[in-house]
This record gives sequence, C-alpha cells and structure tokens, in this order.
Amino acid sequence: MKILVCVKRVVDYNVKVRPKADGSGVETANVKMSMNPFDEIAVEESVRLKEAGTAAEVIALSMGVAQCQETLRTALAMGADRGILIESDAELQPLAAAKLIKAVVEKEQPQLVVLGKQAIDDDANQTGQMVAALLGWSQGTFASKVTVSGGAVEVAREVDAGTEVLSLKLPAVITTDLRLNDPRYVKLPNIMKAKKKPLEKLAPDALGVDITPRLTVDKVAEPAQREAGIRVADAAELVDKLKNEAQVI
Amino acid sequence: MSALVVAEHLDNKLNPATLAAITAAQALGGGVDVLVAGLDCGAVTEAAAAVEGVNKVLQAESDAYAQPLAEEIAPLIVQLAPDYAHVLAAATTTGKNIMPRVAALLDVAQISDIIGVDSADTFIRPIYAGNVIATVTSSDPIKVITVRSTAFAAAPVTGGAAQVETVDATESVGLSSFVRAEFTESDRPELTSAEIVVSGGRGMGNAENFQLLEDIADKLGAAIGASRAAVDAGFVPNDYQVGQTGKVVAPKLYIAVGISGAIQHLAGMKDSQIIVAVNKDEEAPIFQVADYGIVGDLFEVLPQLSAELDKLNS
Amino acid sequence: MTTYIAPTLEMRFVLNELAGLDAVNTLPDFEEATPDLVDAVLEEAARLASEVLSPLNKTGDSEGSQLIDGKVVAPAGFAQAYREFVDGGWAGLSLNPEYDGQGLPGLVSTAVDEMWNAANLSFSLCPLLTSGAVEALEAHADDNLKTTYLSKMVTGEWTGTMNLTESQAGSDLAAVRAKAVPDGDHYRITGQKIFITWGDHELTENIAHLVLARLPDALPGVKGISLFLVPKYVVNEDGSLGERNDVHAVSLEHKLGVHASPTCVMSFGDQEGAVGYLVGEPNKGLACMFTMMNHARLGVGIQGVAIAERSLQQAVAYARDRVQGTVPGKEGRVTIIHHPDVRRMLMLMRAQTEAMRAVAYLTAAVLDHSHHAPDADDRAGFQTRVDLLTPVVKAWSTEVAQEVTTLGVQVHGGMGYVEETGCAQYFRDGRIITIYEGTTGIQANDLVGRKIIRDGGQGMRGLLADIEALEPQLDAAGEACVAIKTALAEGRAALARATDWLLETYPNDVNAPGAVAVNLLMLMGTVVGGWQMARAALVAHDKLQTNEGDAKFYQSKLTTARFYAEHVMPRAAAYLATVVAGSASVMALDDEYF
Repeated sequence: MKILVCVKRVVDYNVKVRPKADGSGVETANVKMSMNPFDEIAVEESVRLKEAGTAAEVIALSMGVAQCQETLRTALAMGADRGILIESDAELQPLAAAKLIKAVVEKEQPQLVVLGKQAIDDDANQTGQMVAALLGWSQGTFASKVTVSGGAVEVAREVDAGTEVLSLKLPAVITTDLRLNDPRYVKLPNIMKAKKKPLEKLAPDALGVDITPRLTVDKVAEPAQREAGIRVADAAELVDKLKNEAQVI
Repeated sequence: MSALVVAEHLDNKLNPATLAAITAAQALGGGVDVLVAGLDCGAVTEAAAAVEGVNKVLQAESDAYAQPLAEEIAPLIVQLAPDYAHVLAAATTTGKNIMPRVAALLDVAQISDIIGVDSADTFIRPIYAGNVIATVTSSDPIKVITVRSTAFAAAPVTGGAAQVETVDATESVGLSSFVRAEFTESDRPELTSAEIVVSGGRGMGNAENFQLLEDIADKLGAAIGASRAAVDAGFVPNDYQVGQTGKVVAPKLYIAVGISGAIQHLAGMKDSQIIVAVNKDEEAPIFQVADYGIVGDLFEVLPQLSAELDKLNS
Repeated sequence: MTTYIAPTLEMRFVLNELAGLDAVNTLPDFEEATPDLVDAVLEEAARLASEVLSPLNKTGDSEGSQLIDGKVVAPAGFAQAYREFVDGGWAGLSLNPEYDGQGLPGLVSTAVDEMWNAANLSFSLCPLLTSGAVEALEAHADDNLKTTYLSKMVTGEWTGTMNLTESQAGSDLAAVRAKAVPDGDHYRITGQKIFITWGDHELTENIAHLVLARLPDALPGVKGISLFLVPKYVVNEDGSLGERNDVHAVSLEHKLGVHASPTCVMSFGDQEGAVGYLVGEPNKGLACMFTMMNHARLGVGIQGVAIAERSLQQAVAYARDRVQGTVPGKEGRVTIIHHPDVRRMLMLMRAQTEAMRAVAYLTAAVLDHSHHAPDADDRAGFQTRVDLLTPVVKAWSTEVAQEVTTLGVQVHGGMGYVEETGCAQYFRDGRIITIYEGTTGIQANDLVGRKIIRDGGQGMRGLLADIEALEPQLDAAGEACVAIKTALAEGRAALARATDWLLETYPNDVNAPGAVAVNLLMLMGTVVGGWQMARAALVAHDKLQTNEGDAKFYQSKLTTARFYAEHVMPRAAAYLATVVAGSASVMALDDEYF
C-alpha cells in the first residue's frame, strides 16, 4: 500500500507571530519557518506504517513557494521515500490545497492520505476533510491511534467527549492529532540520504486545478490585550476578592 | 435567505454549543433554521424548536445518522444547503469533522471558528493560536461556517415555537462505521459550557494530585480542565485539554493551577471573564493574563483554598 | 526565559554570502555539502537545539553536576539529551568518514556548533572537547589506538577530555609534573589534574582522557612533556570494556557559571598507576596538544558568538514585552524597545554579534580551504590567514561576548540582576570563555608574537590589502554605503598603523608586544568585524537593487552595518591610541606600589 503524506511549511511553533503595522498580514520577514507540527506527526505515523511493513511506499507532498522543498527534505529525512512539490507563489487556501491533493492522489493512487488535523498558521482544520469529500473517501480526523488491517483502518479519534473509535473502509484520509505519536528527531546521516531521494516538481496549472482564493483577508490585528491583574497574598484574600470584588463565586 | 444551523447532540440532548451557533446565525440578518439529523432524536428536535429565534427545525432520521459520521451526514446537509445563504455548526470536534466535508462538496470555502460577524459575508476569526485576529470576506454563494461557541451568547432555550419539518434521509454511503466510544464519565458540568473551570498543568506532578483540584471543583461546581503538558504527561484524559488544539473555554471564572501559560494554552482560555493563576514561578506567563495571582506552592495553596471555600459555604 | 531559536536565516546569509559555502562545496571531499543540504542540516540541528538542549539549560544551571559516591552525576535530562545527540549522528558532523564521521565541512559544523552552544553551553562543552581529542588522536596516535578509540569517539559513543592543567601549571605548561612510567606495552600515569571539563560522567560507557605527563628521563620544561591516552575503562583486545582504570574525579569545582558542566579534579594513579598509551612521539606532547587546542580555540570563539546571540534573543523578547514609560510621538506607555537608549543597547548587541559570527564562519571556511585545497601553495596561503585570525576569533569574540551579555542584563533593568529571566545565566556562563583554552592575554601574545612579528607583518599586510580592495566597491554603491566605507577605511588605516608601530617598536622595547597585545587584538577584531559588516552591506545593497529576496532582511543588514560603522568602528581609533602609547605607563609603576 502507498501512503501520501501532506506537509505544510509554516511559521515555527516557537515564534511569537505579530501582525504587520498596516494590518495587511502577519510579519513573516526574518521569521523561522518549519514543518507544521501536526504534519510531523503525520509523517512519523506514515513512516512507522512503512517500518511495520504495512505500507510499501511513503510519498510526501507539499505545496507553496520553492522553500517548501526544505520541508519536503525534512519529511524525506524522517523516512518518506520520495517527494512531490506543487510550486506556487500564490496563496493556497484549504479548498485549493484539497483539490491539488486530489489531483496527486489520482496520479499516484495511494490507499491512505495522511495529514495534520490543522496547520498552526491559519488554524483552519479543513484540508483533510475536504480531500476525503472530493475523493469520496472515508475520513478519520483527529486521530490518536491508527490500526490498519485488511481493507479497513481503525482510527481512534480525539473528540470533545473523550475518544471515539471508527472503522474506515480503505482508501481513507486520516488527520493526525497531537498524541498519535512523538515524531522522531531526524538523524544527520538520513538528511544526507534524503538529498538523494527523488523530488518531483509540479505546477498547479499542469494538474488542471483552479486555485483562486475564495476568502479574502481584509485585515489582521492583534487581539485585545488582557491587562495583568494583581497578586494576592493567600487563599483567604483570593476567596474574598472572588466573592466581593469580582463576584464570580 | 435564511441560515441553516446543524444541531449537535449526544444522548438525545442538544449540545449547548449549538445555541451559540444559533446566536451567530441570527447575526447574519436572515431567519434561522436548525437541522437535527439522528436516530430517535425527537427530544433534540423539540429542544431545538423551543429555542428563541428558530423559524423551522428540519428533522432527518436514519440508522446511518445514529452517530454523527461525516460521510453520512455531509450529503444530507449538501442536499439542503442550496436553500440557504449560510450553513453553520458549532466548532466542536463534530462540527469541525463534518463541515469542511460539506464545504468541499459544495465547492465553497469554509470559514472556521468565527468569533464575530461583521456582515453577511464578512467574519472575524482567530489565527496563529489567537495571536492574530483576521477579518475575512467570502465570495462564495453559500457560506459554510463553524462557530466558536465561547464567542457568542447561548440563544435562550425557551421562547421559540418553530415548526418541525421532516426531511428525507440520504442513502447510507457505508464508508465508515462506529466501533466504540470511550467517553469520560463525569457528574461535573461540561468543560466548554461550565461557568467555572479549574485547570491543572504539569506542576500538578502526577495524576493522583488532580484529586486536589477535584476537591476545589466540587466545592465550586466547576469543570476540570488541563494544559497540554498535563495531558501529555498522562495525568488526565485528552478531553480535558484546554488550548489551541484542545477546547476553547470562556467561563466566568478560570483557575489555572501549576500552568505556566504557554501561548497555546492561553489561546484556549484567555477570553474567560476572571482568571486566577496559582504558580510558584512568579515569572510564569500565566500571570500576565491573570486577574488574581498567587505566587506559591500549589500543594500549600490548594488545601488553604479548600478550607476557605468551606468557610464560605458554611 | 525564552526558548532559543537558531537564527537560521542569518546563518545561511553568512554561510552563503560571506563565508563562501559554494567555494567550500567545490573542495574535494565536500561535494556533498551543497547549500540545500546545509539548509536541511541547519533546520534539523535547530530543532534539536530548541527542543532538546535549550530546555535543559536553566534546569542544568540550578541543579548542576554533582559528585555522588565517586561518580559524577549530570543534571536530569542530560543523559537522554546526549543520547539523542549521538543517535542523531551530530557528534561526528565534520569528522572523518573513515571513522564513522559525517565528513561535512568545518564551516557547517561551526554554524551547528553555534546552535548547540547557544542552546546549552554546559552541554556543548562535552562534544567540543571530544572532537578536539579526536583531532589530536587522528593526527598523532598510532594505528592501534586509532582503531580502538577513534570510531567510538567520533560517533560520540565515548567522550574525550583534555588533561593539561595542574595547580602549579596553568597557562604555563612547562611546570607540568604528572608522571608516566613504562610498564610493558603501556605506561603507568600518576599525578593530579585540575579544571578538567566533563572529566567524568555517566553519559557514556567510556571516556578517553588525553593527558600531558613526563617520562622518567624527560628534560625539564616544555621539551619533556609527552601526551598519553588514559581510558576510564581499559579496552580489551576484542574492543569490550575491561577493568576500571586508576583514574577518578575526586572533586568538582564550585563555579560562577556553566554549572551543568562538571569541572573535575582528576586523580591519576592513586593505587597502581593509571594505564596509559603514548600518543605521538615521546616529549612531543605539547605539539600534539596544540592540534587539539587550535580546534578548541575556534570552538570557544563560536561560544562567544553563541552566548551573545542567546543573550540578544532574550533581551529583544524582554524589550518587546516590558511596558515602561512614554516616548515622544507615541501615545500611552510603551514597551521599552521604543526607548532610544534601549535600542542603542540592542543594536550594539546585534551588530557586534553579527560581526563576530561573520568573522568566525569566515575563519572556519578558510580553515577548510587550508586543509582541503588541492594546491599546496594555496593551502599554505589559507593556513597563514587561519593562523592570523584564530587568536582573534577566540579572544575578540569572547571579549565582545562579555559586553553583549552584560548589555543583555542591562536591558532587563532590575529583572536582569535576578535569575528568572535567564539573562543573568548567560552573563555568568559566558564569563569563562575569555579564560579557558588560553586567556585573552595568551591569545593576544600569540597574535603579536607568532602571527605578526614572526613573519614581519606579511600575513597582516595580506589581510589589510583584502580589506582595502573592498573600499572601491563600497564607493560604487553610493549613498547607502558612505558611512560604512569611511569607517572601514579609517579602521583599516588604524590597524596598518598599529602593525607598523609594533614592528618598529618591539626590537627596542621588550615590553611593547605584551603591553599592547590585547588592544592590538581588539583593534584587529573590530576592524575585521567591520570588514565583514561592510561585505554584508554590499551584498544587501546589490540584492535590494535587483529586487532579489526578502527586502526587509537586506534592509536590516544595511542598517546594522551602518550602526556598526558609526558606533563600533570609532573604537578602532581608541585602540590605536593605546597601542602607540606603548608600554611606558603600563610598566612604570613599581611592583610594591600596587
């Protein structure tokens, strides 16, 4: 079985993002970029499925500017077999991304598409579900455990009330949640090997996909700041304040 | 044109998060209809019909809807959607699971997790873990939206008298099936709708120490939450997690104990009305958002707090 | 305390635009080191630095290494982090593939080492010393020792230490007393060594100590010192570990900083004498050790860059968050980054950190050329440049790091003086780096004596000519580089003048070289730093002209270079003034009047 795993290049998890002064977007100049953390989990899970003998090949897919190659190289260094980059300087919103992924799926015929449940930049949490919709596949979102057996995959999902287990017919789309696994640190020799792995570049046009954005961002701003409050000496003072000043208990 | 709100329900009860989605739908200017899809879910339909401001409740029953499987419910919504300008659901794990599937089938974008409505096509939503607030406009004919329930007041559960209309269920697609659920049983209020939340972080040290929080929560009638660190450390189950990737809460009172206050946690609770922080590290970022802070060892502070609450209650 | 984020954009700029990674990539053995591979290496190293090493920095500081029941116990988490580091293949990044190293250029490991050191200086000392020991063994040990030890040390499975110092023999190694007595196919070592960094620990199964000691018939002074390898556990024929050798950590120093790094008093031969093996020829130990020290000197220079970067990141984060006071033209109370004097401090930190990084990386690139250039004459030319720059990278970078870390504390105001923010730790940790691996004074003496006077200033003149060659290009860039060009030309002239003065003066004044050495070295560092800032400005100017890449980044390069020209380069004149003042007032006061 082939797995297609999708990885997005985003502003690094540790960077404190700020809106640009003119509100036109966020400040990304001189900002460290990394693989979306949920996608790292997706790559790790895919590679583990390969290591377990369940998958024969893991193909990593990324889309966006040329530097997304770096993100793909990371996926290759983690253990993906080859990479595909859909190169585009245009903004790619989830629906467009899903259509591009669908086009690649039709070309590569994987049985499983694995991706992070959301990207930590737009926090949209849509692409995986959209891919499943467009392909008419089953979907296992927010996965905390994935077990493939026969023509089905059992997915434990992190839902508001706890954990829910679904059985999905293959082919299927899985989106990964935080506790699915701990992604490995890439080993230096594997980075060097990754360089020799094939990386194919495609253009959105060549895939016949219209990537026109459907949402326009009118402005971005900082959220209203909370002012820091006061220190209280002990529990007695706290209870007094909560009861008499804030009146919340 | 009206807006359609997809109701979420569990154990034949309407999820309060749906009430917030109804409020958001009302802000769009048209009427509001509610879709209840399920199996033997008449009580939910009744509850939805009683909500103030709801014009019509569409009820669809099918074995395939017994669980809110995205593969089964999305086609139903897609079938109904052309009659509406907006289709909304609460941004719960159920809404997040189903609605993008609906949007893609309709070939429209989804607007995720909105916290404000500017106009019928312009919405406000947080990005980058809430560090940035974006205003976005949709050019699609149908707007598919998920609603952050803490950002909108719950629509009153009485005062409405909506007509109920039965709609045909879609055929089962049979792509996925429900195996089992492991839901956390609790007598406490549900985390996202509780008026008071007591949360513990890595500083709690271990699972047993959460007993100290439970004691406080019992006395306050509060729900219990946790930081990602505490969940990752296995102190509590994943459904306790408050934060960017967990639940977003905005109670009247949020008490953070042994939580340092990483950006990702703050994203999930900073809209609380009053925030209390207990932490031994006086530089912990949580104090920057806390209305009341106690710098001290939680293992000393919690028993004292418990005793003070006893005094209050006696 | 903020999480360290490796400045990979800046590092790439320096590697690609200033240090000439592309040229290094063309050297035999380094064909693999293409810019995109190096990018990937930097990204992954950055991740390990931020996620594994950085979180242990503060806890390591408060916990410290401890000596418990004769064993050195590193702070919690260090063993696991070290395992991650070794499993990832990072220990052998630039080491010989013949011994399971990864064979990447030293230039690349310089950037990666900066990350380790910035994330956790205490941790990084362990691999730094190991790779120094590897270099000494590779250059001088016999095949038998190489086979037994090198692969294990290159991969980091075992670590290495440098055992030079004794209580009476610090900077003056001629006073070493430790003894080595032949005993069959090996030697028995006895004596006590102090200040042995990571001299003992449980991170690895074995430790190879490189030890300076005297053979029974040795001459007094430096000509009678030999180098020995003393393993913690004697290695059996089949490579398995044998008995515990007679070498032990007997106490740990209580230090100002780098608390997590155990600084051991090592006792050799309390019982039967520690088993040791001769490395290189008898009585040539000091030369062997210098192989190791040259490597370590560059490594410590990088620590200066690293700790400065770490301090800068912390100060910027604090200045962005801390609200205090008002400024004209802004409504309400402002974050302190808006205050001109805070900006002055942040710019001083930033500009000098960038200058130090550029000089260090450049030196590392030249070092790669000096080892790997196909032509022998080329290699010799590169070697001259490395020899000239090494003491500057070591001493100037570490001295400027003191200024940067103290400014880091200052930006925090009162909060800087308490430990919570982390900046005080960088200040304390960084204080050692001007001292170990040869103090600033020792480096400066090396510069004036061996690197300037010995070749009659020839190497220096070559450097000055290279600097001068940049000046017409700066002129051609016009308005944007005027201030930069003016300051560079003045700085270069000052360095030329100081060099001439030294060459003219030393034959008549024996005290002159020693008295002016540090100021001359600082002058040279300042000017060479200015040279690299000017080169960066030119690259940025060109990119802006052609609309290439990230305009904001390049604009910031121009601005920072201009700040360096206006605020740092003027120091060159002051350093020159102290140099030409000579030794008179330094030496005049009678000893008893101190």
